[in-house]
Parts: sequence; C-alpha cells; structure tokens
Amino acid sequence: MTEHFWQGERSGFLSKTIVVDTPLGAVAVRNNWPPGSMGDLKLEEGLGRFAHYSSIIHNVEAFEVIASRDGGRVTLAVAEPNLIVAYGLCYYPDSDERWSGLGDLMYEMAAVEVSRNYRNFAIGRKVMDLVMDDDFFEDKIVYMTGFSWHWDLEGSGLTPAQYRQKMIRLYSTYGFREVYTNEPNIALRAENLMMIRVGSRVSAEDQRRFRYLRFGIKQPK
Amino acid sequence: MIKDYPKAIVTKDGTSVLLRPVVPEDEEALKQFFETIPKNEQWFLREKLSDPELLHQWLEKMDYRRILPIVAVKEDDGTIIANLRLYRFTSPSIGHVAHLRVMVHRDYRAQKVGSWMILDCVKLAMNLGIEKLYAEFVVGVEEGAVKAATKLDFQQEALLKDYVKDPQGVYRDLLIMVRNLNQDWSDF
Repeated sequence: MTEHFWQGERSGFLSKTIVVDTPLGAVAVRNNWPPGSMGDLKLEEGLGRFAHYSSIIHNVEAFEVIASRDGGRVTLAVAEPNLIVAYGLCYYPDSDERWSGLGDLMYEMAAVEVSRNYRNFAIGRKVMDLVMDDDFFEDKIVYMTGFSWHWDLEGSGLTPAQYRQKMIRLYSTYGFREVYTNEPNIALRAENLMMIRVGSRVSAEDQRRFRYLRFGIKQPK
Repeated sequence: MIKDYPKAIVTKDGTSVLLRPVVPEDEEALKQFFETIPKNEQWFLREKLSDPELLHQWLEKMDYRRILPIVAVKEDDGTIIANLRLYRFTSPSIGHVAHLRVMVHRDYRAQKVGSWMILDCVKLAMNLGIEKLYAEFVVGVEEGAVKAATKLDFQQEALLKDYVKDPQGVYRDLLIMVRNLNQDWSDF
C-alpha cells in the first residue's frame, strides 16, 4: 500500500487528502468536504442495507446536510471515479441530546464506516487520521458512542464483545478512552460503549461538569 | 485493560467514585471496609479478608493474573465503599470462564454502586477475552446483588439446595448465575 498526501483549501475549508492504493484501486481520503461539493458522488454498494445490518447513511444528500450544519465535518474516502467507500462524520450534539447541556464543549464523532467491500485495507484508520488532524479538538471533549445494534457483526464475523474490542483499539489510537454513563441508550447493553478524548486545553472544571452530566447531574456537588 | 483505570462513576446522590484495581497501599482502607460489612454477611465470605492478618497475606501475594480485585473509592476522602474480585483460571479447560464476587458498603447499596461494579466487571471480562462470567449468591442474603446481576443479563443457571449454612446453622440455597459474554444480539 502506498500513500500520497497533499493539502489544499476548498471554498474556505482547509482540506487534506491521502491517497491509498488498495487491491481494488486507489482510494482518496479527504477531510472537510464543503457543502455543495458532493453532488456527483455515489455510495459504493458495500454501504447499504443488508439482512442484519444497515449503514447509517443511505444517500449522499445526508452528507450534504451534515456538511451544512454548524460545526459539521465530513470526511470521505472515494474510489475512482466517484464511489464513496468510507466516511467519517462529526458535529455538535443535537439540542435534544444530553451532551448539548455543555454547549460547544462537546463534539460528537458520529460515525466512521467502511464499505464491506473495502474493509481490511486500513481505510478506516486513514479516515480517522484525517478526521482527528485538527487543533480544533484540543478545546473539545470529543465523544463517540458505540451501539451493538449498529455493528456489522454478520459482515465482520465478530461477536459483540470482539467488535467492541476492535472499536476500543481503533479509537484508543487517537487518545480516546472508555467512560461510563447512565445515558439510557448506552446503558442498555454492556457491549455498548462511550469513549471520549479530552482536548489538552479543556479545563479540569469542564471535565468535572462532564463527569456529572454523564450520570444525569447538571450541577456538580 | 488495567491501564484504563481509574473509571469514574457518580452515584445517585452525587458522590464521585473511582473504580480501580486494588494496590498494596489499600490495606488500611480495605480493613476499614471489611469492618463495615455486617457479621452475618462476613460469614459467607470464602476468604476471610475481614481478618487483618489474612488480608495482609493476601495483599502481599496479590497476582492480577489469578484474581483481579477492583475497589470503588470515594474520590473526596479515599474511603473504599465496594470490593469486587474477578477470579481467573490458568487451566485451558476453564480459562474462558471467570468468577466474580462483589461486596458493597451498606450505606451505598441503594446508590447502584454494586451495579456499576458488576457492569465494569462485565466490560473488563469482555476486554480480557473471557467468554463466561459466573457468580454465586446466597439466596435470601444477597438479593440486591441478584437483582443487579439479573439486570445485567446474568441468567440463573442452577440452584444448589441447602448448600450453605448461615451463622445460625440454617441451610440456605446457593444460586449460580452466568453471563455469556459471547452472546449474539443481532436478532434483538
């Protein structure tokens, strides 16, 4: 596998691209796709609906919506000529989510997904490399939630416990660690997980507020 | 796995608690913790760690590969309020199984500390590649722990009738519960 790297600016967004050579051809992984730039792209067929698993994103328009959100970031891995084979999405939490209680301190790593046909080529790591390649995150508590009912157990051949370990290994590389919470969806199953990365400029008091919020307490003792 | 500790929880009453492995320096705090466990519950301990001498010996020989002890510690004053032990086996025939025992300070039993300890243990066991978690509970004595284990998908596997004796010499049943960590949830 070879990689090429370049950096540029598109429509005011600083964007970086890594090109990965895979057995299925070159894949360009680029971060910060601006809104309005994804109209010609298509989802590769390994991202879709299957018997026991469904991709989180079902159409390209969804990427446009996320890129248009305040703070929305879209990272795409594109195979020639125009097939999206993987993506990483992040944004501020929705106002109805518990984590929005801490304002723009919290930032969600909402999804990282690789097409069934492009797995085991380290594309997920390249997506994560570019998603996390930003000083912006040093002022944030970035969080990800992993729900076992979203995992492609059939396609991966893994048990929930094994898939969970895979997620932990991937995110740990980028400074994430597992934390506990009583948020009902996460607490529903032991396999589910919440991982966070605390930016280097996040204050101890903000970390404390977040700890209490994880257990539904808005005002620390 | 161990490097991921401490893990923070906050109880219902807003007490900040850290879960972490036991270290030899915990001897005094553990001694105080076991003193708070009622005598009729200490009776059922398999290892009498409420005995300071035995506790000292156990801490000296502590081996995380065999027994992984996790404590819940109040962040403000370092008081130990719960103790969980994960027993592992070196034999390959049973290396995929681990046993757990948990004890919680009386004042914190309504604060779900035991539930968080068991959940932490389930997650830890998953990360260690363990496939089955096994727990024993004395019926009529450890009902709170049974309830917590049930909520965390432990299944009642067997009931050993009149298996243990309480301090009054009355026989009590021993309930065996198992949590299969490899279960497939895809049909949920």
